[in-house]
Amino acid sequence: MTGTSEQNPVGGHYLVDVNAPLPDAGGGLPVFAATDRRGPGRGSAMAFRVTRHAPVRARALQTVFTGIEGMLLPLAHGLGPPLDGQDAFYVICQAPAGPPVSADPRPWPEAALLDRVLRPIAGLLEDLHNRGLTHRAIRPNNVFLAAANHPLTLGAAWAAPPAMHQPAVCETPATALCHPAARGDGQIADDVYALAVLLVTLALGHPPMEGMDDRAILHRKLEIGDFAAITGGERLPPLLTDIVRGMLAEDPDHRPSPTLLRDPGSVRGRRVAARPPPRAARPFRLGALPVWNNRTLALAMATEPAEAVAAIQTGTLTYWLRRGLGDAGLAVKLEELLRHHAQDAGSDREMANAMLIMRAVAAADVFMPLCWRGLALFPDGLGAALAIPAESDPDLPHALRTLIALEATALWAVIRDERGQVAQARLEARKWRAVTRIKGPSGGLPRLTYALNPLAPCASPLLAGRWIAMMSDLPPALDALAATSPAVEVLDAHVVAFIAARSERWLEQEVKALTLDAAHGNPASPILSMLRLLSEMQIRFHQAPLPGLAAWIAARAAPLTGLWKNRERRTVIEERLQALTRAGSLPPMLALLDNRAAQTADAEGLRGALSDLARLDAELHAITTGTDQRAALAARLGQEIAAGVGLAAIAATLVLAALG
Amino acid sequence: MAKAPKAKKAAGGTEGSGRSLVWLSGLACGALVAVAPGIAVLAAGLLAPGLVALKLDRAAGRPVARTVLTCGLAGCVQPVIMLWNTGQSLETALIILGDPLTTGVAWSAAAAGWLMTELVPLGVRAVLEAGALARATRLQVLHGRIAEAWGVEEGDGERDVS
Repeated sequence: MTGTSEQNPVGGHYLVDVNAPLPDAGGGLPVFAATDRRGPGRGSAMAFRVTRHAPVRARALQTVFTGIEGMLLPLAHGLGPPLDGQDAFYVICQAPAGPPVSADPRPWPEAALLDRVLRPIAGLLEDLHNRGLTHRAIRPNNVFLAAANHPLTLGAAWAAPPAMHQPAVCETPATALCHPAARGDGQIADDVYALAVLLVTLALGHPPMEGMDDRAILHRKLEIGDFAAITGGERLPPLLTDIVRGMLAEDPDHRPSPTLLRDPGSVRGRRVAARPPPRAARPFRLGALPVWNNRTLALAMATEPAEAVAAIQTGTLTYWLRRGLGDAGLAVKLEELLRHHAQDAGSDREMANAMLIMRAVAAADVFMPLCWRGLALFPDGLGAALAIPAESDPDLPHALRTLIALEATALWAVIRDERGQVAQARLEARKWRAVTRIKGPSGGLPRLTYALNPLAPCASPLLAGRWIAMMSDLPPALDALAATSPAVEVLDAHVVAFIAARSERWLEQEVKALTLDAAHGNPASPILSMLRLLSEMQIRFHQAPLPGLAAWIAARAAPLTGLWKNRERRTVIEERLQALTRAGSLPPMLALLDNRAAQTADAEGLRGALSDLARLDAELHAITTGTDQRAALAARLGQEIAAGVGLAAIAATLVLAALG
Repeated sequence: MAKAPKAKKAAGGTEGSGRSLVWLSGLACGALVAVAPGIAVLAAGLLAPGLVALKLDRAAGRPVARTVLTCGLAGCVQPVIMLWNTGQSLETALIILGDPLTTGVAWSAAAAGWLMTELVPLGVRAVLEAGALARATRLQVLHGRIAEAWGVEEGDGERDVS
């Protein structure tokens, strides 16, 4: 670790002291003390170190929070002091004024729970809901007690994907089943559920379902219902019992809204009739899991897909649904899905099985997430799922690629159309698929990853150790890379995808040209396209000199200078290129090397020169082959001259004779 | 079809006029022998090399015979004037013809004419070749300069520069 960040304050104001970790302030995440260098009186701050493959919640960080008290709000974000020799990205938040409630486990009285927990947090959730946000990090170790008899303070939830660090007990079974990074923003009802778990924890004085692993918690909740599983038969105060029962409703629409929760009395009077799911007398065994009802069936099919396909195909499951559970409707649905599966299996059995399980899980429990080839996620968690490195789960990229290619999110939305938003799901699925189908380095999963995670860093192996999350950071990073490693291709697939996603439409043409040039095979074109792209980047994002990139381009510019045929002019251009390289200015280099008018004139000049050379060659050839003609001419002329001399001799003799 | 007889007629006309010229020449020579036998004998003796050249030269226009004759004629002028001034008798002509100096000068003039027909074409050819060589050298220098300026290699002249 290194010291404080005098040289690189986060957001221009916050100095992070990486030698001063705050173990209890981050709700389980690594967090360091931070100070505002504008001076004291602005409240204490802390810095979350962001993990490279767990993107921050960009929408929340870009939201302006005003007039919200009782929640640790984000203050700034950006690069700060490096850690372990690598760039580090921090999210600065307000620091809590006291310890988390998990530090002092004791039963709270009902009045305190209502006045200091339920009402203030419900008010905060209402504020977030009004801004279109969710919190998704309400858990005992992320709720703080500033002082005795003070309302609780809600911790920060902005430095990691939504609900990523939530324990299974604090989440609904559907979100707990998901990959931790792929739970999605969800809805405010998910925060209401987590708040209910917090209330139960504080009322009981210990965490509910303590000592159970995540899978057991899930199964228990789905088997006997969330309220019964979480309270575990322990008695709660009567008013709280009614409130919590509503807040833990299976259907998010049945949970009271934050606005309603601010008046606990009215919540108690609001009873939503929710019939408990039918339970079989004897369980159906699917893999290792005993299935008692449709909810545990959905869980078992999601976690044991191979056994589930076999059970559906053999008909044992539908038989049990009719005879054991008495849910003929679900049995008919599964038989219908099996007919679809038979049609799909002709083309790709593996895909057909995945599609069957995805639909069967949604049919069995409409609240379950999208379960695709061992991965469970909600579509709004796709961005964070894409950021998960392939090293941690080698099957994940293929699962995500097929999910997007088949527009599975849209098909999943159709199955659970009673939850609405089918049209939007279709639109998004089509958009995602279109991005992944873009040919060349500017498309594919990397581009979609950067598009869905606006603050995720570029994952290029060339930039390992660097945190490049914004376009303005990329040109100097590439410049340093080109200066230290002139032989590497600085514009690799990840860098191009990053540029394509982050520059929106500004550099679309230049990025497209890279792909087309690579296909054409003209050695000069890719260099020119790269120069054009880098030049535009320098103009738009980084006006300072880039001598490393300029030298990198100059070293590859031979095919471009070679286009000039006039050697004198080419020498002048090469000298000018060297001068511009030293200046590190890419736009003038582009103007020099991409001068169409001058190149046309040069080509015209070459044509003229070739024409002159052809004429000279013809003339030389005529001289070489004209020996016989010259000999004949010489003979004729010589004899004429001799005859002339003879006549002159006669004339001279006659004149001499006449003169006597 | 009409052209062939015409051409034959034209060829026959040329041949006929040549033959007439021979006849006319023969008639003139006969007249000369009859009127001035001394001059005729003297001219025949002094122009003997030219007559031999006329007989041997088969080239069109008989350029060698023409030069030998003209040069021989230049060598005959002085002896003919001398014969004319001395009465043009046959005896005088034979005396003059028997003078080795006179005959030698005339025949030497004819020999000089023949030598000229052999040497002058060689000289002219040497001049022409020297001129061609100088021109070729200038052209090659210009060619090299253009090729150097535009980076054109041997054989690039036929390439497409579009």
